[in-house]
Amino acid sequence: MIKGFFYHLILSLKLNFKSKQPLIYGYLVPVFFLIAFGAVFRNGNPPLIHQMSQLITISALGGACFGMPTALVSERDRGWLRRYKLFPHGLMPLVLSTLVARFILIASAALLQILLAHFFYGTPFPEYPLYFCIAYCAVAIAFLGVGLVIAGVAKNVPAVQALGQCIFLPLIMIGGVGVPLLVLPDWAQKVATFLPGKYACEAIQSGFTLDGHGSVFELNIIVLLVMGGSALVVGSKLFKWGQNDTISFNTRYWIMIALLPWLFAGFFSLKTDRWHPIAEVPIDEAKAITETQMNQISFDNLPPDDGTVTPIAAPDVDLPLESSTRLDLIRSKLEQWTPGHNKNSAQAIRCLLCVVAVADVNEDQLEGSIAQTVFQYIQDTFSPTEVEHGLAWVALYPSSGLTVNSVPELKIEGDFYEKTIRIRAQIYAIKFFGRIRHKLAN
Amino acid sequence: MASALIVNHLRKDYAHIHAVDDVSFEVNEGEIFGLIGPNGAGKTTTLESVLGLTSYDQGSICIFGNDLSKNPDEAKELIGAQLQNSQLPDVMTPRQALILCASFYKDSVPADELIERFQLKEKANSNFASLSGGQKQRLSLALAFVNKPKLVILDEPTAGLDPQSRKELHALIAEQRSHGVTIVFTTHFLEEARTLCDRIAFIKNGSIIGLGSPESLIEQSALNTKIKVRVSRVITEEALLLLPFVISVKSISGFENLIETTRVNKTLSALTSYLDSTGIELHDLQINRPTLDDAFAYFVSSVI
Repeated sequence: MIKGFFYHLILSLKLNFKSKQPLIYGYLVPVFFLIAFGAVFRNGNPPLIHQMSQLITISALGGACFGMPTALVSERDRGWLRRYKLFPHGLMPLVLSTLVARFILIASAALLQILLAHFFYGTPFPEYPLYFCIAYCAVAIAFLGVGLVIAGVAKNVPAVQALGQCIFLPLIMIGGVGVPLLVLPDWAQKVATFLPGKYACEAIQSGFTLDGHGSVFELNIIVLLVMGGSALVVGSKLFKWGQNDTISFNTRYWIMIALLPWLFAGFFSLKTDRWHPIAEVPIDEAKAITETQMNQISFDNLPPDDGTVTPIAAPDVDLPLESSTRLDLIRSKLEQWTPGHNKNSAQAIRCLLCVVAVADVNEDQLEGSIAQTVFQYIQDTFSPTEVEHGLAWVALYPSSGLTVNSVPELKIEGDFYEKTIRIRAQIYAIKFFGRIRHKLAN
Repeated sequence: MASALIVNHLRKDYAHIHAVDDVSFEVNEGEIFGLIGPNGAGKTTTLESVLGLTSYDQGSICIFGNDLSKNPDEAKELIGAQLQNSQLPDVMTPRQALILCASFYKDSVPADELIERFQLKEKANSNFASLSGGQKQRLSLALAFVNKPKLVILDEPTAGLDPQSRKELHALIAEQRSHGVTIVFTTHFLEEARTLCDRIAFIKNGSIIGLGSPESLIEQSALNTKIKVRVSRVITEEALLLLPFVISVKSISGFENLIETTRVNKTLSALTSYLDSTGIELHDLQINRPTLDDAFAYFVSSVI
């Protein structure tokens, strides 16, 4: 039995990669969804971070509710499945290996989506991998259970497609899988509590951003496991070996058992007021910036360091005593300057860059030297990772965070428009970042 | 001789239709047993019940002493089957199918041995879709022997094959008996059944209407030999009816008659004497002994 299980599992995987259709639906369609979502959400902070749960849920849903039942029913239509009934202990190894094979396939599709999103859009990897893995397993079990029920109920392959659409479309449209629940009206958000998509997306999102963690995460996992467990039992009960096998009238009641957890989950969520979508937890944009995003920072067409816009003096330039005294004063004041000690290091760095930007816009006599002093101060004060992420954040997201538009307390004159300061700060951030990365000479 | 298969008072109803109605038969070890009947007679339902593919409403099935309802897994270890309309997935190869099926049994024949035995070597690693009809049927047969079965069920193994492929398959089936395997199979071809089977059961409307060796079934049918004669002048039916042991005479044309007799030698001798005495010349003579087809037609018509 164990030998049969493993050989069937390996053969199912091998044959999957020999056919075009499973490859198209299993991998190309999820990639297509990624590209479609990427086209819309690639400018998010960070890109696609709040859409990954939807993308992964879509690929799991497609593979489990279309791919698996289509493969099972087409084998049944060909009369091949009946052969397994001849084997001693035929059902368990067949069903288990089919489910495990499909799990591996949909998990590999999810992994492909995560990797492609990371390398092409700079989407961060799941920050909480344990949450992500638990959530993904629960989601897969829930949808594979639904797929097994569809395989048992459908008379033929077109019926699988029809039944699959009956699950797929509501989940996409009002189930929180395609259209985010936050943009849907209340009635749709309430209906979504009766569908597994909401719980699936919330659970997977916890793996990326910890949205809905703690008791909400636990509840989502329990709901998905109960939905999946009951559907798997019912799917096994409804399992048909041959095209002509019929479901007895009494067996049809089992379908209700598969749907009961959906109803319980819905009513429970409504009664406990858990139907509201979980608000997106603000992301620490700077921390979430990936290597891919950093590599996208361009150093072309920057103003020269010895020009009038965003100048930077050489670190070893000899200055008159008066100038060096002023720079020492600025440096010592920076040590006490509150915005430069924001507990968010990236915000602190943005504020420090604003100091340089104010000096630059004001055309301070020491603007280049102030820039060099602040650059040195930043490097001395923060860890290399904090410096990299802080500078990259200002470079990539010039409109984010708070700015300081005047710094009289540092003995630097001028009070300027925020937009102007942001633009100068961004240019300085790029220049400093280039120096750290040895892309620009200091 | 030990019993390989005992089917006792088997009954299966589909929505008030008796697909199988009180069927009982016993197959001895090492025997080739044929189940013959028209479409919808209940052959496939009977065999599928034996294989555990279909549940039955009443009766019992015993395979080498294992009651199928009580010890299904033990019984299944002993049975191999070639199923009607069972197609592999297009991209699966014969070798993969043989290894897959073997992996579900405690004991099995190595895939290479079956590939050799069933002449599948050149297509062993090709996709199922690229196999010819004969190759597909040979593979289906090979799958039936994958678990070293003691009892093999073949459901219309030669259906849809050309005469040459059918002949090859007959040789393969006959060869399997030499390995000590008991074979039960269904077919529409009565000549095939006569060539291969030790015993045959005729089945109609879910009931067995005749059971025995091909010869005994022909004997049981009590059909007589027919002599077809063509002569130079018209002979009256009355004159032919006067010949000894003649039961009936049927005129085919003026010069051609069909004479049914219980004793061929005596009737022929009398016929030649009659022709000599009347000066009628014998142009053609055919002796038609009753066949299994005749016996089958007899049993089927006698049930009506």
